[in-house]
Amino acid sequence: MFKELDPILHSQLRLAVVSLLIGVKEAEFTFIREKTNATAGNLSVQVQKLKEAGYIEVTKQFKDNYPQTTCKITPKGIEAFEAYVQALQQYLQVGKE
Amino acid sequence: MSNIDYQNDQEKSFSPEESLQLIQTMIRKTKDSVAVDSFYLLFWGWLVFICCIVEYVLMIYFKYPYHSFVWWAMPIGGIISGIYSSRKAKKQKSVTYIEEALGYLWIAIGISFFVMVFINVTSEAWNTAFTYYILMYAIGTFVSGRLIRFKPLVIGGILNFIIAAVSIKFNFAGQLLMGALAILISYIIPGHLLRIRYNTKKN
Repeated sequence: MFKELDPILHSQLRLAVVSLLIGVKEAEFTFIREKTNATAGNLSVQVQKLKEAGYIEVTKQFKDNYPQTTCKITPKGIEAFEAYVQALQQYLQVGKE
Repeated sequence: MSNIDYQNDQEKSFSPEESLQLIQTMIRKTKDSVAVDSFYLLFWGWLVFICCIVEYVLMIYFKYPYHSFVWWAMPIGGIISGIYSSRKAKKQKSVTYIEEALGYLWIAIGISFFVMVFINVTSEAWNTAFTYYILMYAIGTFVSGRLIRFKPLVIGGILNFIIAAVSIKFNFAGQLLMGALAILISYIIPGHLLRIRYNTKKN
């Protein structure tokens, strides 16, 4: 009867990344790192997992000879985020009862 | 946020409450990153204001026949503004939906100005050109002000709708002064206030 919390999103750093990307059109890897205070290594592992799940889109390009990674949420990611928030609400309501 | 321990991410299960709190914190962080730049308001505001006044003085006091040459400052302004925005785009690390909307709004207004210049030089419309320019300032500043929630810009925009309506009653010389007044109210004053707000926020 309970929706299970999406294991891809139910991880602090991945959830932080997706919550950030929900609010913006796109963001650079460095921006995400600044806002989440995560280490580059950990963040790139989690970004990769989100990308493999199809929740985010990652583009790598060169800007003024520097590699630049840009992340953007996909429609599938938005859907998953909404479902996750809905499931959270269910849990919280039960907690109140 | 800084004390979240991502290291134990995989093992540590966190509660729905913590989850929700994290989502809220991150969403708030993206809100703060909408840095609105007063450069365009101040740059275009002062440029147009000075052009209006200079043309008025040349026309009325010096009876100079080629007074409209001052508007060659506009394409030059366009180049400077373009260089500024391309440099800024290189430094920008994220794009919010509001920034994207603002960008398209001002691109549309910029194109409208080009179209109006074309109409003005190919017809007699230049006589009342400022009425329509002021209407454009009104749309741009009103919508921008609402999007970034900055009241002086909204008020400037609303006042410009009124000035546009009044300006049609004036001859070309009067229209120049109306244009100067409109840009002062909708660009220059809100632009300086925005700069002050930004600087106090930063410190």
